[in-house]
Amino acid sequence: MRRAIVIGLDCAPPRILYDELRNELNVLGKLVGEGQRYIMRSSHPPITIPAWMVMATGKTPGELGLYGFRHRVLGSYDKMYIADSTRIREEPIWNTLGKHGVNSIVVGVPPSYPPRPIKGYLISDFITPDHTKRYTWPPWLKKEIENRFGPYIFDVVFRIEDRDKVAKGLWEMTEQHFKVLEYLLTNKKWGFAWFVEIGVDRLHHAFWKYWDRNHPKHVSGNKYEQIIPSYYKFLDEKIGSLLEKIPKDTLVFIVSDHGAKAMKGAFVVNQWLEEKGYLKLKKKPEKPGEDLKPNMIDWDHTKVWGWGGYYSRFFINVKGREPNGIVEPSDVPELIEELKDELRKIKGPNGEVWNTKAYAPRELYPVVKGDPPDMMVYFDDLSWRAAGTIGWNTLYLEENDKGPDDAVHDWYGVFTIYDPEETIESGDKGIIDIHRIKDKMIQYIMEDKKIV
Amino acid sequence: MKHLNKGFVVWFTGLPGSGKTTLAKNVAKILRDKGYRVEVIDGDWARKTISLGAGYTREERRIHLHRVAWVARLLARNGVIVLCSFVSPYRDVRKMIREIIEEEAPFIEVYVYCPLEECIRRDPKGLYKKALRGEIKHFTGISDPYEPPENPDIVVDTVKYSIEENVEKIINYLAKRFGIN
Repeated sequence: MRRAIVIGLDCAPPRILYDELRNELNVLGKLVGEGQRYIMRSSHPPITIPAWMVMATGKTPGELGLYGFRHRVLGSYDKMYIADSTRIREEPIWNTLGKHGVNSIVVGVPPSYPPRPIKGYLISDFITPDHTKRYTWPPWLKKEIENRFGPYIFDVVFRIEDRDKVAKGLWEMTEQHFKVLEYLLTNKKWGFAWFVEIGVDRLHHAFWKYWDRNHPKHVSGNKYEQIIPSYYKFLDEKIGSLLEKIPKDTLVFIVSDHGAKAMKGAFVVNQWLEEKGYLKLKKKPEKPGEDLKPNMIDWDHTKVWGWGGYYSRFFINVKGREPNGIVEPSDVPELIEELKDELRKIKGPNGEVWNTKAYAPRELYPVVKGDPPDMMVYFDDLSWRAAGTIGWNTLYLEENDKGPDDAVHDWYGVFTIYDPEETIESGDKGIIDIHRIKDKMIQYIMEDKKIV
Repeated sequence: MKHLNKGFVVWFTGLPGSGKTTLAKNVAKILRDKGYRVEVIDGDWARKTISLGAGYTREERRIHLHRVAWVARLLARNGVIVLCSFVSPYRDVRKMIREIIEEEAPFIEVYVYCPLEECIRRDPKGLYKKALRGEIKHFTGISDPYEPPENPDIVVDTVKYSIEENVEKIINYLAKRFGIN
């Protein structure tokens, strides 16, 4: 059995790690350069929650019952919840390895709050409300960590205009994460470790337009143009320093949960549904950007409403399921097909053709558990996020309606296996589906090439 | 009554709720039935008597167990089999105890293994529940660490094996080592 560490870089795209910054990153550049490189095809949807848990369990979002951060309670207009670790019924890799006697160190893997027992040590992820909560397994580890490193930083506020503040917070958070990680990896017994740095995702969302020359709002020579490369170099040094302190024969997996790309804008989904006659409001919104609340909707004449986000969730007002449902259950499949046709016809603000795709969850997953939306909609292949707010005088917003954010998620992330003992073939290996990664990791850790 | 020239100390360590005192009491019963003089000392008794008012910080636990170790040593050198049941979470403190006792009597460390989640589930005194709510400070396994023994004389697993099986394992060890019959 091999010792292994997974370095998870939330949102890191192949474009950055494999291409544009590869030669500037001494450690990551070497790891991906000499490793077995895959382009990782993310889950449906390519969102942090569920993607990391799909990767760790090998199960689809449908099997996990995780379709994003927020979930609407089926049959309700106003009840929702944020998915957390208590929803996970499938076995993540650290539990599988634990059955073989392997001790694990798990830090920041979404969703791991509230912390659940593992064979080893766990610090929960960015959905942890704050450091006053219980966030470690075993529980006493919290005190040990805080005595040495102060209150643990789970996330930074990143949807704000003050980019200097975002940058400062990012560096502080990542610095602390690596100190904690180094402490755990050098003071605790472990055979497997999985760490996720959420800072990479926050960096992209806050600074993408400043760096990406293809971004519609990029201005050459801006103040923050080098922030993304700088952060990656900072990260690179931290990873290098960490790897020097752990056993040299450790297998290293570099992985992200999804990629990132420029946000072209936000499509005002509920206004579109209203224009098309699927949604009826009781009265006109008073100001632009109002959140769509259940009491604003004329449910007796509404068939469909939607949520905003990197992808849009559509909910159908089904008779017998929703309190004031009007769509007969038998008519739902036909309505979904009708909506798909309408969605495909949507063009950009300048009449450009979009690649919009929509799916009913049952089309994507072998099993659909939990509280799935009725439809999952990706506007222009994710380049346009969905704005759930209303009252705008257009269907096309230049900005995210929920605060500054210039990157959207992309389907493709990275997966690299680096073996310092050079027992594996290096080079580009094409695309790997996120659902296969757990097995692939186990294959290398257990040194059993027959597993996959 | 059988009389040992010199007794010995069996030290049960493990998380709260792992089953230390239950095992010690069951072992004691068998040894007493065989005619030996046996004393069981556990945290509840010690904190009401020789360590009245002892706290739960690392230093307070050290002082508390230092006292217990000396009592156990005195009993053991006078032919008593002493079964001590204490969480005793820190390796260095257990090392200190061993050193005190071994100057006059054999010391046997028994690691009562039970995963934390199982101890939380059992929670025989409701203390884990309070500790998880933050109502008890310095509670081993929740707000304070437990450092498992690295080289115990006996390991008993109270999840996989029954009380009877674990007691038998301990008695067999003592029989082999001290000729208990």
